[in-house]
Amino acid sequence: MKYLSQSALRAGAIGLAVLAAASPALAQEKSIIIGLTADPSHLYPLAGEELSSNIMYYHLYDPLVKRGADLSFGPGLAESWENVDETTWRFTLREGVTFHNGNAFTAADVVYTVNKARESIRPDLVANIAEITAVDDLTVEIKTPAPYAVLPNDLAELLILDEEYTEATGDEQMDLKPMGTGPYMLGEWIKEEKLVLNAFDDYWGGEPVIKTVTFRPITNPATRTAALLTGEVDVIQDLAVRDVDRVKSEDGFSVITRPSLLNVVLAMDTREDSPTIEGPNPMTDQRVREAIARAIDVDALNQVVMNGLATPSDQYVPSSHIGYVDGMNFREMYPLDIEKAKQLMADAGHADGFTMTLDATNNRYVNDAQIAQALASMLAKINIDLQLNIMPKSNFWGYIRVPTENSSFIMSGWDVPAGDAGSMYGALFYTRDKKEGYGQVNRGSYSNPEVDALVDKADATGSIEERDQYLQEATKLLLADIPMIPVHYEQDIYAARDGVTLEPRVDKFIWAFDMDVE
Amino acid sequence: MFAYLIKRLIQMVLVLWVVSVIVFLMMSFTGDPVFMVVPIDATDAEIAQARRLLGLDQSLLVQYWKFLTSLLQGDFGRSYVFRQPAMTLILERMPATVEMVLVAMALAIAVAIPLGVYAGANPESRISRFIMAGSLLGISLPGFWVGMVLIYLFAVHWGVFPSSGRGDTAELWGIRISLLTWDGWHHIVLPAVTLSLGTMAIILRMTRAGMMEVGRQDFMKFARAKGATRSDVLYKHGLKNALIPVVTIFGLQLGDLIAFATITETIFSWPGMGKLLIDSIYRADRPVIVVYLMLVAFIFVVINFIVDIVYTMIDPRITLK
Repeated sequence: MKYLSQSALRAGAIGLAVLAAASPALAQEKSIIIGLTADPSHLYPLAGEELSSNIMYYHLYDPLVKRGADLSFGPGLAESWENVDETTWRFTLREGVTFHNGNAFTAADVVYTVNKARESIRPDLVANIAEITAVDDLTVEIKTPAPYAVLPNDLAELLILDEEYTEATGDEQMDLKPMGTGPYMLGEWIKEEKLVLNAFDDYWGGEPVIKTVTFRPITNPATRTAALLTGEVDVIQDLAVRDVDRVKSEDGFSVITRPSLLNVVLAMDTREDSPTIEGPNPMTDQRVREAIARAIDVDALNQVVMNGLATPSDQYVPSSHIGYVDGMNFREMYPLDIEKAKQLMADAGHADGFTMTLDATNNRYVNDAQIAQALASMLAKINIDLQLNIMPKSNFWGYIRVPTENSSFIMSGWDVPAGDAGSMYGALFYTRDKKEGYGQVNRGSYSNPEVDALVDKADATGSIEERDQYLQEATKLLLADIPMIPVHYEQDIYAARDGVTLEPRVDKFIWAFDMDVE
Repeated sequence: MFAYLIKRLIQMVLVLWVVSVIVFLMMSFTGDPVFMVVPIDATDAEIAQARRLLGLDQSLLVQYWKFLTSLLQGDFGRSYVFRQPAMTLILERMPATVEMVLVAMALAIAVAIPLGVYAGANPESRISRFIMAGSLLGISLPGFWVGMVLIYLFAVHWGVFPSSGRGDTAELWGIRISLLTWDGWHHIVLPAVTLSLGTMAIILRMTRAGMMEVGRQDFMKFARAKGATRSDVLYKHGLKNALIPVVTIFGLQLGDLIAFATITETIFSWPGMGKLLIDSIYRADRPVIVVYLMLVAFIFVVINFIVDIVYTMIDPRITLK
C-alpha cells in the first residue's frame, strides 16, 4: 500500500510532465508565491529545526525514506530495505540520482551524513543507529543498538548531504548555499524578504510542475491575510482564526483545514510532594486525576477559546499512529461530569479541594494563555484553586524541564511526526532515571512498571505488528491511569486563491512538488 | 573641535562597554538559549552536546571574557539560532530599515515644519486649531493600528499600494536599495507614512511652541520693521531661532526609529533589522542582542555628535568644547 501510493505519486508526476511537454509555453510560467509565518533560520538540516526550515529542507534535500502527506512511509533515496537480522538493516539506494551540482549520490554520502549528524546539534536524528557501513556504492547496512522496528520512519527525518560539497563548504556556509538531491534548488534568499526556489529538472521523482516557488515570510497574521486578498501571494500558512470567515466569504479564495498532530496535553505531578502544593500531593491518587479530567469541558474550550477550530483528543496519539487503540476514546471514558468529579474528589478525601499552579506558555500554542484561564475557572468548580504561571516559551522549556523542580501541573504540546507512539511513551511516561534516553521528559514523574515493561518490549522487537500490540497495551494502561490529560489537537489552517491545488500534509511541511497552480 | 571628538569617542567606548555588561547580565535571566535549539525530547547527553557546540558550557564570566577578547579582534560572535556571525545578520537587514526611516523622517519634516511654523505664527486661526488637533491624533494613535488601517484601506479595499514586502530593489555599491526602483517606492509609501506620523506630530508641536516663543522676541518686530517679507521673518529669523530643540528631538527620533522600527516592520513584513531584535529576544539569542544594542548605542552617539555640529551651524554662538 505504501509503495503503491509512492508509485502513484510518481505516475502522477510523470503524467503532468507529459502534459507539460505538450504545452511548453504554459508550463514554463508555472510559479507560486507562498506566505509563511516566518523566515527559515536554516537551510542546513544539521543546524537545527523549526517549521519554516523544515519546509525548505524537504524541497532541497531528500531522506532515504519518504514520509507521505498522510504519514505513510515509502521509498525515497532508498529504493527498498530489508532486515538482515533483528538489528541489521540493509538499504538499497536509488541508482542514477544526482545532487544539484551534478555529483552522483552514493552510499558514502549516507554514511557521511549519519556520522556528521552525530557530531552536530542534532544527534537525536541518528540516536537509533549504532553503526553504518557502505556495503557497495548503492547499498548501506545500518545496525541499531537493539531491535527497532520503526527505523525507516526515523530515517524520514535524516536528509542526505553531498559529502564532497559539504566538506568543502563548511557548516556555516551550508546554511546559505545548500546542496541536496531534492526537487528544488535554491535560487535566491534575501533574509526576511523572500526565498526563491527553482525546479531541479533532473529530479529522480520527475520534473517538478511548478518551476519557481517563492516563499515570503509575513509574520503578522492580519498582513498575511491582506497579502492573500490583494493577490500578492497565492497561498498562506496559518490563517488567523478570526480571519477564517472573512476569507471564506470572499470570492475566489478558499480555506483549507486539517487537524494537526500537535496534541495539547496537561501533565500532572505524581510525586508524594509537589512543588506548588502544600502538604501531600493529592494527584498521586488516580481518582483525583480522573476528577480533574472530568471537570475539563473540552467542547467549551473548542467553541469559546478555539472558535471551533480544534479537535478534542481521544488518545495521546492520533489514529494514524502505531500504538493507537481503535475504539478507545478518552472523552467517552471521562466525559464532562462535575457531580461525578466532586464525588471522586470526596472519595479521595479532598472534597475541600486544594491549591496548585499551572505552568503554561503565552506564545507557543494557539490561544494558550486563554486556555489556561479557562482551565482555572473549570477546575474551580471542583474546588481546585488553580494559580496561573504564564510565561513566554523562551523561559518555559527551561522552567519545566525535568527534574521539574518548579511545577505540579503543566500545559504543553506533543507531536510525533514519525507516526509512532513509542518515542512519546518512552520520553513522557517511562520511569525517570531508570534507563538512558527514557523518561527524559517525564515531567510528572509518573512511574508504572507495567508501562515501562511494555515500552521495553516494544523497543526490543523487530516486528511492527508486535510493537503495535505492546504500545496499544500501554495506551490502555495509560488511559486508565491518566498520568496526563489529552486536551485537543490544534487545526492547521491554510488559505489559497482558487486555482491552487494544495493537500495539507499531516506534518505541516508544505511541499510545492505535490502542488499545482492554474 | 578635535578634542571634543576625542572626548566623545572615549565616552562612546564607555557606553558600549556598559551596554555589553548590562545585556550579558540581563540575558542570564531570560531563559536558557539551549532549549530554543534542541528538540523538546532531547536527552541530557544531547543537550550537553548542544551546549558545548554553542559555547554555553562555560561560566558567564568566561563567556563574557571570550566575547570581549574576540571583540577586540573584530569578531562580534555568532548567533545561537542562526549559527551565523551576529554582525552580518544585523548589517544585511540594516539598509532596509535605514531606507524606510529616512523616507519617514523626510516626510515628517516636509509636513511638520511648514505646518508648525504656520500654527505658531497664527495660533488663533481655525486652520491652526485643526492642525493641532490632527497632531494630537498623530501622537496618540498606536502605530500598529494605523498600519493595519492603511493596509485595509489602501491595499485590500482600494488596491493602490501593496500590503507588504519591499518590492524590487537595485544595487548601489553592493547595497540593495528600493528607492531606486518605481516598485520599491510603491512598497515603501505605506510603511514610511505609518512610521512618520508620531515623529511628524512631535516635530510639529515643537516647531509651533518654538515659533510662538520666538514670535514674542523684539528682533522679530525689528526684522518686520526693517521691511523683511513675512516669510523671511518667519523662516530666516523666526524658525532658525526656534530650531535648536527641534533638531535635538529630530536626532533622538531618528535614532529611535532606526533602532526600534520593529512594529512597523512586522506589520508590513518589511525585511529590516528591528524584527531581528524581537525574534532574538524571544529566542534568548544573546550574541545578536548584545551586538544589536551596542550598534544602537553607537548610532545614537554618532547622531548626537552630528546634532551637536548642526547646533553650531544654526547658532554660531554655540561652540563645541
